[in-house]
Amino acid sequence: MSSEKLPRDGRRLNSASDAAERLAAIVEAAEKAASAVIDDAEEQARRHIEEAREQADRVVAERLRELADELDPQGIGVSAPGERRLRPVQPAPEPEDQQAPRRSASAGARLLATQMAISGASRDEIEERLRNGFDIVDTGEILEAILGPEEE
Amino acid sequence: MELTDLQALEERYLMQTYRRAPVEFVRGEGALLWDSEGREYLDFLAGISVCSVGHCHPEVVEAVREQVGRLMHVSNLFYTEPMVRLAERLSESSLGGRVFLSNSGTEANECAIKIARKHAHRRGVEAPEIVSFERDFHGRTYGALAATPNLARNEAIGPMLPGFRSVPLNDTGALHDAVGENTAAVLIEPIQGEAGVYPVGEEALLAARQACDRAGALLILDEIQTGVGRTGSLWAYEQTPVRPDVLTTAKALGGGLPVGACVTTPEAGEVLEAGDHGSTFAGGAVASAAALAVLDLVDEAALLRQVRELGATLRDGLLALEGVAEVRGRGLMIGVGLGDGIDAAALGADLLRRGLIVNAPEPRTLRLLPPLTVDSTQIEGAVALIGESLLSCSP
Repeated sequence: MSSEKLPRDGRRLNSASDAAERLAAIVEAAEKAASAVIDDAEEQARRHIEEAREQADRVVAERLRELADELDPQGIGVSAPGERRLRPVQPAPEPEDQQAPRRSASAGARLLATQMAISGASRDEIEERLRNGFDIVDTGEILEAILGPEEE
Repeated sequence: MELTDLQALEERYLMQTYRRAPVEFVRGEGALLWDSEGREYLDFLAGISVCSVGHCHPEVVEAVREQVGRLMHVSNLFYTEPMVRLAERLSESSLGGRVFLSNSGTEANECAIKIARKHAHRRGVEAPEIVSFERDFHGRTYGALAATPNLARNEAIGPMLPGFRSVPLNDTGALHDAVGENTAAVLIEPIQGEAGVYPVGEEALLAARQACDRAGALLILDEIQTGVGRTGSLWAYEQTPVRPDVLTTAKALGGGLPVGACVTTPEAGEVLEAGDHGSTFAGGAVASAAALAVLDLVDEAALLRQVRELGATLRDGLLALEGVAEVRGRGLMIGVGLGDGIDAAALGADLLRRGLIVNAPEPRTLRLLPPLTVDSTQIEGAVALIGESLLSCSP
């Protein structure tokens, strides 16, 4: 048996056209291989970018959750990890003064903004809720504290 | 088997607790359903907000298929990974405490009620009370039923569980007065669903939070309908100025399989101990695998943004229709208030004939709960169908 490789159909390469055909097949195979390598590289790059984006999202979300946990010790429902949230029986409180609801509303607005940011809401969406829900005209301070300065 | 045969068997063998529409569905995909005669429907009810990722989402189907073939059930006397991972996922995405998994929303609320009562007993309260809003819907088991004022008035199935009271929706003064030292919890829906999609105002939510803190009570948010992305954030409370001590979820969580959960803060998660609560099927591996697949799909910023944007498109489209008096809700949880003389039930039936599935929770309201994966063309199609139907159903 000859050691010379046969084409798939078993014919020997005995002409220039056969050689050209084989060369074309080799080039095609090489192109396919190169294409696969490129696809693979692109896929890897996409994965890296996606992972980096997810990691960045996680870091931002974690920081925002920490911010939410730090917000308002006055009973808007936020507590630092480990802090006792369930309170012992207390005597009935005195009537609230006029300032209390406003302070709470302000803390509530900050919590709303923080929670919306955690949930992925845009700056515009949060601003709209602050204006409509809390009648806050100048939302810049809250938004900047939570989301950072607005990009140009 | 023909529809008429099914109807006869249903009447003979199923307790007659539901009034079903005369349609037999045999297949679903995304926001579409097909009946036994091959007719296509646009589903803007999604099994009452259960099929939020659409019917038979391939990733949910695959997760279920894989788990079903490997392990279905071992009981809560042992560990399974899907159960533990689901609890972790729910906790980490919300209140950070512990989770009790259940098979339904009403069971999740039963767990929350137990937590609230035991927590109150620890404070020395002998006869703890739970305060809800009138027209809230928390479920049909006796604890949840007692917190559902409209249904709790049904004396035919009394006596009801004691220790529940209600105040008018958004009445901050009444809420302030109702919550006292005997209050175990305020249990409310952030948006009343079954009542007809009525959001709780931000002032009322703040008042509830303040009242609970003043009394040492727990704020429990029933997110059974609003949760898992329905309003455009994973949890509806994320778009409010409060955080609850306990939240309950179900419906969309399993993507079509029955699963619910009661999720707590770390502190409220310490209340129940071994023997206080349990459920044979809860936390089953298959339902948990489905829920994890659903959360993978829904807890994505792009999808949640789409829910908010499509919700706004849907609201704008509806508001432009003759016969629509108001549109309530958030995200893709929409209540359509109809104009004078328009009967919501008749409109709903007409829409079903036209190939759009909605429901009518009250005489002048249509409720729309499309899958969160619905597209803008389907939104436009639904608005067009509602517009046509309004023209034919208006007085």
